[in-house]
Amino acid sequence: MTNDLAGNVIVTEGITKEYSDHSVPVEALRGIDLSIQKGEFTAIVGPSGSGKTTFLNVISGLDSVTKGKVWLNNKLLSNMSSKELSDFRRDNIGFIFQAYNLIPVLSVEENVEYVMLIQGVPKQERHARIEKILDDLGLRGFADRLPTKLSGGQQQRVAVARAIVSRPALVLADEPTANLDSKTGIELIEMMRSLNQTSGVTFVFSTHDTKIMERARRLIVLKDGQIEKDENHE
Amino acid sequence: MRLFLKLAWRNLFRNKRRTFITGTAIGIGLAALIFVDALIIGMEENMIHSATASFLGEGQIHREGFLETFEIEKIITNLDEVTAQLEKEAIVSHFTLRTLNFSMISSPANVSAVTMVGVEPTTERHLSQIDEALIEGTYFEGGNERDIVIGSKLAELLEVELGDRVVLTAAEVHTGDLAQEMFRISGIYHFNISEMDRAMAFIRLHKAREMLNLKGEAHEIAITFIDREYGRTKDLPFWNSYSTGGNEAQGWTELLPELEAAFELSGFSTWLLGLILFAVVAVGIINTLFMSLHERMFEFGVLRAVGTRPLALARLILFEAASLAVVSSVLGIILGFIVTYISTQTGIDYTGIEYAGMTFRELLYPVMQLKQYVYYPIWVFILTTLIGLYPASYAARMKPAKAMRRSF
Repeated sequence: MTNDLAGNVIVTEGITKEYSDHSVPVEALRGIDLSIQKGEFTAIVGPSGSGKTTFLNVISGLDSVTKGKVWLNNKLLSNMSSKELSDFRRDNIGFIFQAYNLIPVLSVEENVEYVMLIQGVPKQERHARIEKILDDLGLRGFADRLPTKLSGGQQQRVAVARAIVSRPALVLADEPTANLDSKTGIELIEMMRSLNQTSGVTFVFSTHDTKIMERARRLIVLKDGQIEKDENHE
Repeated sequence: MRLFLKLAWRNLFRNKRRTFITGTAIGIGLAALIFVDALIIGMEENMIHSATASFLGEGQIHREGFLETFEIEKIITNLDEVTAQLEKEAIVSHFTLRTLNFSMISSPANVSAVTMVGVEPTTERHLSQIDEALIEGTYFEGGNERDIVIGSKLAELLEVELGDRVVLTAAEVHTGDLAQEMFRISGIYHFNISEMDRAMAFIRLHKAREMLNLKGEAHEIAITFIDREYGRTKDLPFWNSYSTGGNEAQGWTELLPELEAAFELSGFSTWLLGLILFAVVAVGIINTLFMSLHERMFEFGVLRAVGTRPLALARLILFEAASLAVVSSVLGIILGFIVTYISTQTGIDYTGIEYAGMTFRELLYPVMQLKQYVYYPIWVFILTTLIGLYPASYAARMKPAKAMRRSF
């Protein structure tokens, strides 16, 4: 490892993750060395069980590694306590989930506001940011609705709004289009790409969908917990 | 803080049926506690009233040791001074003089040992309820000095009726010589207290003094106060000021220690009942919170993923427990109030039942007090919130990736 972290949002060094599945040891990640630069729009692809979700989990500090090291925004994750990791994720990472996972008892506006509230962003600024992001993502007029009153595509747009409104360095998305129809999925990925270009936020997302992976500028193919291919499409 | 309160409150109503069922269970526990407390206070008041108003009075003055031995020589010292002082006491409502001695009562059919009580009918009316408990005859009306009032069981034993003659035999105070007097049954009472109905006979005070050769003396002064609580106040200066010259002044709690002990037992019973109720309810709360927790495991994982600190998540669960406590307390207060209020209007029939040596003679009316609607709900709130600590700590220790294993 070069230890040259400059310009990189994520750097991993020989990360290995082992699980025990019903007392059977499973090696989900096997010595992955990788760096992702600021502003990248990267897709992690691979068949089920290839380690995509585990990879996203460990680079975001949601799960620990068995061996190896992960640097996120120049911070070594393994040195952080649970509270520090929470604060770090809050300030540096936005998440988009396959099943949207908005908080069902909060309105669209409150869902988007949540991370900024725990960040301690002042009220006026929160409202200004919410207004802008809802406008940008075509969600004007939906602010007071509960997530259950929205379509899947609309919910995922709210999830994108929640992920980027706190101005993170990195947005991680696990199969963000898996629950959407093909057209809506492509629209969402285009929207994410547009945000990547306009705001410079780094996007790393996993997908199965070939139409979606075609839109990534960098494609990392995982197989059996190892990088099989790493190619740039730019 | 406001965000988590809002989240907790809304989360509580995500599964309305479950919240309602758990809230009702906790509410019923609280209502039961409110009702039982009101019932026990009512029972205490009823028992105190029964004990003190029937015959005992709220306080008594005797010669030291009289109650232990019942020796008729142990008369109250300086009686005139004591009664003159009692007349001036602001806290004393009424008092009466009595003589008490063991004697033999005989009829043509039978004979029995009784406590012969010499009473002053005019003042005794304020201290005891013998006149109210009469089932036949009158209570020393007219001037017949040979009137005797006895209990129903004693009349049954002696096989006597109103107007029949009985003979009382008692030992004189100084010589111990036996004195015998004939009396005519003028009244028969029924207290439903076996000791009083079977083993007491009331005659006029001056007649008793004459028989016992007591010149203007008495064995007992029974007292009622302007406030019944004085009789229960052990450090009341009154007791000391009349416990002089060989006399002893005591409140009913000392005269009937078994009643005080029964009240302590009742207090402990309420506490125990509360503990059992809350233990049962606690299991329900833990179950509800854990069900809710497991249903929303992924959601909690998401909250942790987006940067919610472990302690903040624990706080959210605690707020949910507290919200549940608020809902439950409101339900419990309403239910407890309705049930208790109705029973305060209708009364509960315990008459004839004996408890701690006392027999309930009147309907029992639970007593509603503000503390029941303040302290118990506060306890429910504190306990429910404390119970919430267990699922809260579980949620705080949860690893986000494990919680979200369905996806992230």
